Amino acid sequence: MSHTRRSRWLATAAALVAMSSLAACGGDDSGSDSGEDVTLRVNLFGKFGYTDLYKQFEEEHPGVKIVETAEGDLGKYNTQLTQRIAAGSGAGDVVAIEEGQAVNFLASADKFVNLQEHGAKDLEDQFLPWKFAGATTADGATTIGLGTDVGGLAMCYRRDLFEKAGLPTDREAVAALWPTWDEFIATGEKFQDGIKGSDAKFIDSATNTYNSILMQSADHTYFDKDDNLVIESNPAVKAAWDKALEMDEKGISAELKSFSPEWNAGFKNGDFATIACPAWMTGYIKDQAGEENAGKWDIATVPGGGGNWGGSWLAVPADSKNQDIAIELVKFLSNADGQLAAFNAVGNLPSNPNLYEDPALQEATNPYFSDAPVGQLFVAGAANLEPVFLGAKNQPVRDAVENAMRSVENGQRSSSEGWDVAVNDAEKAAG
Amino acid sequence: MTTPMTATLPTLTATDDPEAPSRKRRRSRVHRASPLTYLVLAFVVLASIGPLYYMVVMASRPNSDITSNPPPLTPGSELGDNVTRVFENPDVVFAQSLLNSLMVATVATISVVTLSALAGFAFAKLRFRGKNFFLLCVIGTMMVPVQLGLVPLYMLMGWIGLAGSLWSAVLPFLVTGFGVFFMRQYVMQAIPDELIEAARVDGASTTRIFFQVIFPALRPAVAVLGLLTFMERWNDFMWPYLTLAPENPTVQVALSRLSGGYYTDQALVMAGTLLATVPLVLVFVLFGRRIVGGIMEGGVKG
Amino acid sequence: MHLRDRLARIDIHGAPYLFIAPFFLLFGIFGLFPLGYTLWVSLHDWTLLGGNEGWVGFGNYTELFSDDYFWNSLLNTFAIFLIATIPQMLVALGLAQVLNASLRAITFWRVGVIIPTATSVAAVGIIFTMAFSRDFGIVNWMIGLVGVDPIAWNQERIPSWIAIATMVDWRWTGYNALILLAALQAVPKDLYESARLDGASAARQFWSITIPMLRPTLMFVVTVSTIGGIQLFTEPLLFNPGANAITGGDMRQFQTSAMYVVEQAFTGQRFGYAATVAWVLFAVIVLVSLVNSLLVRRIRSAD
Repeated sequence: MSHTRRSRWLATAAALVAMSSLAACGGDDSGSDSGEDVTLRVNLFGKFGYTDLYKQFEEEHPGVKIVETAEGDLGKYNTQLTQRIAAGSGAGDVVAIEEGQAVNFLASADKFVNLQEHGAKDLEDQFLPWKFAGATTADGATTIGLGTDVGGLAMCYRRDLFEKAGLPTDREAVAALWPTWDEFIATGEKFQDGIKGSDAKFIDSATNTYNSILMQSADHTYFDKDDNLVIESNPAVKAAWDKALEMDEKGISAELKSFSPEWNAGFKNGDFATIACPAWMTGYIKDQAGEENAGKWDIATVPGGGGNWGGSWLAVPADSKNQDIAIELVKFLSNADGQLAAFNAVGNLPSNPNLYEDPALQEATNPYFSDAPVGQLFVAGAANLEPVFLGAKNQPVRDAVENAMRSVENGQRSSSEGWDVAVNDAEKAAG
Repeated sequence: MTTPMTATLPTLTATDDPEAPSRKRRRSRVHRASPLTYLVLAFVVLASIGPLYYMVVMASRPNSDITSNPPPLTPGSELGDNVTRVFENPDVVFAQSLLNSLMVATVATISVVTLSALAGFAFAKLRFRGKNFFLLCVIGTMMVPVQLGLVPLYMLMGWIGLAGSLWSAVLPFLVTGFGVFFMRQYVMQAIPDELIEAARVDGASTTRIFFQVIFPALRPAVAVLGLLTFMERWNDFMWPYLTLAPENPTVQVALSRLSGGYYTDQALVMAGTLLATVPLVLVFVLFGRRIVGGIMEGGVKG
Repeated sequence: MHLRDRLARIDIHGAPYLFIAPFFLLFGIFGLFPLGYTLWVSLHDWTLLGGNEGWVGFGNYTELFSDDYFWNSLLNTFAIFLIATIPQMLVALGLAQVLNASLRAITFWRVGVIIPTATSVAAVGIIFTMAFSRDFGIVNWMIGLVGVDPIAWNQERIPSWIAIATMVDWRWTGYNALILLAALQAVPKDLYESARLDGASAARQFWSITIPMLRPTLMFVVTVSTIGGIQLFTEPLLFNPGANAITGGDMRQFQTSAMYVVEQAFTGQRFGYAATVAWVLFAVIVLVSLVNSLLVRRIRSAD
C-alpha cells in the first residue's frame, strides 16, 4: 500500500514540476522598434552559412541579437512558413523563401514588407535580372524578397562510365558533345551503344531535364503574363515535354524519381552517367555516392545554355515587429559581401552577377569532382538565364505535369495519354 | 454473469507479478504458456524488433551504405560519429528539446488520464440526462480530420497569446475523445455495479467513490492509457512543429533539423531517432511489469 | 439528515456533469472552434494566403461530388483501411490472449510487442520505404530468395496498398493488443475455472467467455481503428519520398483523402475547398461509425 501512496505522490510532484516549468517557459516574447534590445528571429532551411555575418551585424548594431533556426526538411519548412504567414503570426522577422514557394507568396504580396519602399529598386543591379524578378510582382511594383543564392545548373557526369562507353572524359571535350539538347540525346544514344551489357543509363530521369529545357525556351511557361493558363497554346511546353520524353523513348533514362531511395542509390551504383546538378547538389552526390566513388564524378556545362534549380530569397513578413532592423539585416545578408561570405562558408552560389568575376568564385574547385572548377561552371549555368514569368499557380501546375510525365516514364501511360492527363490536371490545379 | 463476481472478489487480490507468492495459484487458473506460445511470441517480437534493429544498422553506417544491394544487415562503426553529430548540431538543441518533450508529454498524460477517468466513469456508471448525446459527442470529436484544424487552431493560439509557447503544444491535448471512450469501455467492463452500490450504501459521495473506489481499480487502464498518451505526445510532430517557436522545440521537431534542406542524411536522422526512442524504451522497461497490474487490487483493499 | 439528503441528491444529479465538464470545456475551446471555422471556410472561395474571396454557398460541395480525385482518394482510403484493419484485429486479439498466459520473462515479451508504437512515424516511414524499395529493399530481396520477381511496391496500386497496410499494422497491432490485454485482465478468472470444470475446451472458453466479456473493448478498438484508418495520412505520405509526395504516387494510386485535404490546402492553396473535403470526410467517418455500431448491436441481439 505504501507503494501506491508513494507513486501517487511522485506523480503529483512530477505534474507540479512540469507545470511550473511550462509556465516559466511561456511568454518570453521580446523586441519592439522602440526598445533598446531587439531579438531578430531568422527562419531558414538547410545551410545558409550566415554565422559569421550575424556576429558582424550584431557588433555593428549594439543591442541587436540574432537567433537563427534552420529547419531541415524543405517541404515541412514550406508548410510551416505558409501556415504562419496565413495566420499572420509566428513567422520570424526574416524568413527564407525558396524558389518553389515564391509565386505563392507573390500572390499575397501584402503579407510581406514591400522592399521597394525601402530602396530595393536601387539594389536591382546587384542581382541577376531573373532573380530580382522572381520575388517581384508581375506589375513590377512590389518586391517581397532579396536574392541570396541561385541554383545555376551544370551537368554532373561519371568519368568512369563515359570511358567505358568510349566517350571523351575531359570536361571541355564533354561539354563540346552537347551544345544543344538534341546533341545531348545523340550522345546518350552513343553512350548506350558503347556500354552495352551494362545496366547503366545516360540520364537519371526525363523529369529533371524537362524543367531545364522548359525554362530555357520561353519568357513564360504555363501561364501568360495575364495569368491565364496557356499550357496547351504555348508551344514551348509541349516541345519541352516531347524532348524530355524522347530521352525516355530512346532508352537513355534510368527512370528514377528524384530524391527517392532508388535515385539515391543510383549515385553510388552508377545507375546513370549524367545528372543536371546545381551547386548545392554536389554535396548531396558526395554524400550518396560515398568516398569509394571519389574522383569518378566530374562536371561540365549544361546543354542549351543554362538553367536553375533551387535558390532562395530573404523576406520580412508584414507582421514582424522589428521591420526596420530586419530590412537592414536582409540587405546586409544579401549584399555582395554577404553572398561571398555565404559562398565561402557553405558553397551557395551567389545571385549577384558582379561577384562572378571574383577570384573566390573563379578559382573554386571541388576535389571530389576531379577538381572541377565549380565556381565557373555553376556561374555559367545561372548567368545566361532570362527572366521567366511564372503564374501564381505555377507550383501545383508544375507538380501535375511532372507527375504525369513520371507516369509516362514508368510505362503506366503513353506519351499522349500522359499529356492529356497533364493538361487536364493543370486545368484543375489552375482552378 | 455478474452474480458470481461478488462472491469471488476476495480471491482476485493476486498480483500479476510473476514473482509473487500467488504465482502457482494464478497459473492453475490462467492457461499455461506452451512452447508453441513462445514460438509465436518469438516470431512477433522478431517482427517488431526487426525494423528497429534495421534502424540501429542504418544509424551506425555512413549514409552511402544505406542503399547497398543486398541491404546491409549488420551494424557499422559510425554510430558514435553520427550520435556526436546530432549533439553537436547547434540547431538541434537536443538536450533542451528532450526536456521540453518530457514536460509536454507529462502534463498531457496526467491530464488525459485523470480527466478521461472522471468522464469515462460518469459515462459508464452514472445516470444523467443527455448521457447518450454527450457520449456521441465524445466519439464524434475523434472523427474530425485533424489536418485542417491546424490552421484555425494556430490562429486561436495567436489570439490568446500563446502561439510559440510550450503551452500551445499541450493545451489542445489535455483531453482526448479517445481517452474518455477508452476509460468508459474499461469501467463498463471491469467495475461491477455492486462495488459502487456498496460504497453508496456506506454513504460515500460520488466524488469520494471515484477517488477511493474507482480510480484505484482502474490502475491497468490508467497505466495503458498513460503510456499510450505519453508515447503519442512524445512522438507527435506536426502540431508542435507548426506551433512552437523554433528556438524552443520538442524532440521530434528538433530532429527534423538534422536534414540538410534539399535532402536528408538518413544515417544522421536514424541516429537522432534512435536517441529519441531510447528514453521511451527505458520507460517501458522500467514500468513494463507495472503496465498490467493486479486487477481490482486497490478496489478491494481501498 | 435533511441537509445530507439534499446534498446527496445534488451529488447524484450534479456529479456526472461535473465529471464530464472538463472534457467538454477544453474540447469546446480547442476542438469546436477549428471545426466551426473550417465549416465557415468551406462555404467560401478561400485561399490559404489570400483569405476569404467570396461566399459560394455549397459550390465547393457540388464541385466535390464530381471530383474524380476525391473519389479516387476515398477508394484508396477504404482499401488500405480494410487491408490493414482486418488482419490487425485478429492478430491483436490472438496476441493479447497469448500475452495473458503466464509467461517467463513477461516484461520482455510485452515490451517487445509494444515497441513499434514507441517508434516515431518519421523513422517508420524511412525504414519501411527502404524495406519496400524496388531495387535494394529487403522485402524484394526476401521474396527473391523464393524466386519471386521484384515488385515495384510504390508504383503499382495493390502492392502499394499492401505495403502501406503493413506499415500501419506494424505500428499499431501491439498497441491494440495491449488495450485488449488490459481488458482480458479484467475478465474474472473464475469464469474460466468453472468453464473448465464443466469441461469446456480452450476454443470454447475463448468464444463463450473471452469474446463476450471483451465486447465493449473490442467495439472500442474497432471504432478507434476505423476512425484512425479513414484519417490515414502520414504512412502513405512517407511511402512516396521525393517530389510531390502528397499526391500519393504518380497516378495517385495511394493518395488517401486526408492527403487530398492537405494537397488542396497547401499545394493548391485552396483552403475553402480543402475544408470542404475535410468536412465530407468527417461525414463519411460518422456514417461508417454508425454502420459499425449498428452491426455490433445486431451481433449482440443475435446471442
